Amino acid sequence: MGSDSIGISASGLRAQAVRMKVIAENLANADSVAANPGGAPYQRKIATFRAVLDGKQKGGEVQVTGVTGDKSAFGRTYQPGNPAADATGYVQTPNVDPLLEAADMKAAQRSYEANLNAIEAARGLTMRTLDLLK
Amino acid sequence: MSIGALDAGMAYGRAITGAKGGSLLPSTSLTESGGSEGAGLNFGAMVGQMVGTATTSLHGAEKASAAQVSGKGNLIDVVTAIGAAETALDTVVAVRDRVVSAYGEIMRMQI
Repeated sequence: MGSDSIGISASGLRAQAVRMKVIAENLANADSVAANPGGAPYQRKIATFRAVLDGKQKGGEVQVTGVTGDKSAFGRTYQPGNPAADATGYVQTPNVDPLLEAADMKAAQRSYEANLNAIEAARGLTMRTLDLLK
Repeated sequence: MSIGALDAGMAYGRAITGAKGGSLLPSTSLTESGGSEGAGLNFGAMVGQMVGTATTSLHGAEKASAAQVSGKGNLIDVVTAIGAAETALDTVVAVRDRVVSAYGEIMRMQI
């Protein structure tokens, strides 16, 4: 019971850590524009997960399928002085919404905490079971 | 469920006869009066095997810690590996204490 559920919860921790990393990347690059005139700015990234069945543990761990780019449209602002501006003076801005990232970060944080609590509970139960022997 | 003192004595007797040469106690005189004649439990081998398992998980924990210190590891792996090693060691120690105290009780038995 103990080590299996701890392993599954640990996979959840790993997945949420990747999600946190991606969110940090998005927030850090919220203002990153292209280096060359008319180029594409930073594209928002999304971490996607899937359940995998581990034959040994007989339980579904979570696995990061990959980190893909958000396909939503980039923003456009008029900044003729910007080195990334195209011929008409417009600069393409990243499709990162800081408010959305903040909400996503809160969700990742809660999920990480939930997995931590599950590990703590499983460990506590294992220890109490072992205490029966003492 | 009732467990008589004689049952315990016979069980440990079986364990002793199973431990060929590995026990300080003489491997004679206690025989099973009823029930199935199973293979004797080898306490030495059992503890050896459990300690081996615990050592393997401790090695894993050490490896994970070393990787983390050198910047190649993952904190989550370190925590889970150390947790698993701790649980394994606690289990071995608890079982050993229990069995050793049982042996001690047998030794203190009035003859």
